[in-house]
Amino acid sequence: MNPDTRILVIDDEPILRESLQAWLERDNYTVEAVGSGKEGLERISQIPFDLVFLDLKLEDINGIQVLSRIKEEDPDTAVVMITAYGSVPSAVEAMKEGAEDYLLKPFEPEELSVLIEKIISHKARERENIYLRQEKQERSRFESLLGQSEVMQEIFNFIEDIAPTDSTVLIAGETGTGKELAAKAIHATSHRCEGPFVAVNCGSLPEQLMESELFGYEQGAFTDAKQSKKGRLELANSGTLFLDEVGEIGPRMQIDLLRVLEEHSFTRLGGTRPIKTDFRVIAASNRDLARTVREGGFREDLYYRLNVIPLEMPPLRKRKEDIPLLAEHFLSRFRQETNKEIEHISRQALDLMMLYDWPGNVRELENAIERAVVVGKSKNIQPEDLPISREAEMLGQGSLQEMEKAHILHVLKQNDWNISRSAKVLGIDRSTLYKKLQRYNLRQKA
Amino acid sequence: MEREIIISPIGGIPSSVTVPVRKAVAQNFGLPARIVPLLQHIDFAYSPHRQQHHSTPILDKLAALLPHPGCRILAITERDLYIPILTHVYGEAQLKGTAAIISLYRLSDSNPPSLVQESGLTTQRSLKEALHELGHTLGLKHCPDSSCLMHYCRKMSDVDHKTDRFCRYCRVWLQDALEEDRLSLG
Repeated sequence: MNPDTRILVIDDEPILRESLQAWLERDNYTVEAVGSGKEGLERISQIPFDLVFLDLKLEDINGIQVLSRIKEEDPDTAVVMITAYGSVPSAVEAMKEGAEDYLLKPFEPEELSVLIEKIISHKARERENIYLRQEKQERSRFESLLGQSEVMQEIFNFIEDIAPTDSTVLIAGETGTGKELAAKAIHATSHRCEGPFVAVNCGSLPEQLMESELFGYEQGAFTDAKQSKKGRLELANSGTLFLDEVGEIGPRMQIDLLRVLEEHSFTRLGGTRPIKTDFRVIAASNRDLARTVREGGFREDLYYRLNVIPLEMPPLRKRKEDIPLLAEHFLSRFRQETNKEIEHISRQALDLMMLYDWPGNVRELENAIERAVVVGKSKNIQPEDLPISREAEMLGQGSLQEMEKAHILHVLKQNDWNISRSAKVLGIDRSTLYKKLQRYNLRQKA
Repeated sequence: MEREIIISPIGGIPSSVTVPVRKAVAQNFGLPARIVPLLQHIDFAYSPHRQQHHSTPILDKLAALLPHPGCRILAITERDLYIPILTHVYGEAQLKGTAAIISLYRLSDSNPPSLVQESGLTTQRSLKEALHELGHTLGLKHCPDSSCLMHYCRKMSDVDHKTDRFCRYCRVWLQDALEEDRLSLG
């Protein structure tokens, strides 16, 4: 049960719609309800839903048609048809069309919650697989923190100052600014450098998986726990625990984490023995955490516990003088990886890179160079090898949010609105991209 | 503004249920609790088609009877309750609201529920569901911990399995909610 799970109810009977919405909300899901197929399809085109409860007999559009349009829009969305006793054959037909299941109304309470748990846990496993694949890819990224700009020199000095202490650090900064690199640099310069650096991406895992990932578990703690497993809190002993995207941690985990930070001990899932652990915590977030606290999305006590030493990573547009150095560094790496004989970056390509504002920051630059090395046909990288079009070049005007919105739209168009591909190009995960689409109300025009 | 919780039996609910519920409510929420019948009947919520009572309009009615803003009401009925999408409910509450109701119809181990004396098992179940529904009025949601009071019980064995205590997470959220509630009332 996770508020990140979004459920849409499409039913033209207000009383059914409202009671289902109220029931699901109490189970911690984020729920919306609409009264027609048209409204439902419109909402689905605006934001993604994990699960849709769809009435088979709607007044405006046939439920089966709505189902196939939902599956066209996003095949990942699970659909459960709601049906009355007389319409079971149509519900079976809906399953052939891709619905995950159907429910006869009124439902047995047991039936409803078992069904939702089954669907959600299936989706969670899929997400975990994506996370593990991403994590494997991540290992090859960013081997060092680079920069000659004044602002980066100040950051290097600051890191040297704070590294020897054991204080908690909260790193703020936009996506792709190198928050994890900064954390690794702090770890490498600290007295804990011989110990492990254990990173946890708090935004990638559903809360339950996160719990077993962090705390570990004893044999038999849950059905799949065939043997005991150490969690990352235990693995980080004598080293540094890096909590990336800490603002995404769910309310339950916030309480647990606060307790661990206060007591330096925890128990594995299904265990009773307290385990003492000694690690330094470095947390990072691309959100304005203070604002999230004010809005009630993050515990104030945990925020103060984490924000002992604040460190802000600057966006690449504020240290453009570092672009040539970074670009050359990435070129040299990808040249080795691909064995292509690309020697330099042309003056024109570099000019274009200096004009562009890089809303995806260093990670976007890295992706751009990787692409240029792969598609480049000459010995030097040319402007047309870079995924920065004229349209993107004009992005320099407007607020940061406007630029981010325009850039996301640009990348989505380039990738035919394929979310996975676009997220990869932008250097963010799919769930972050979905959140941004929702925030900027971006959707593909029919 | 003084805060309190009103336990409101509808019809003849035995004191073997109302008194322990009142005590448990006062103890768990740290607020005064008293027994005051506010509704004589719930016929207005009866569905002849389903032969059950729809709990949602009863909550609306109870909320309208609130003696003062610092109150929360927990009604207890022996009638079978439903909401339209479900075949039955043991209780319902207004999430972050003021009114909650529980039904002894399925919680009781005698059928129909006794109007004179209920067993200890029925009292235990009623007490758990009462605290659960009142938890919802303070904004607490369902808890995945099967031993926690806020666990969503699909069947009677789930109710019997859970303890009469909030888990450590729900305790923290309950304290947060009570504090927020206290501040909002000034």
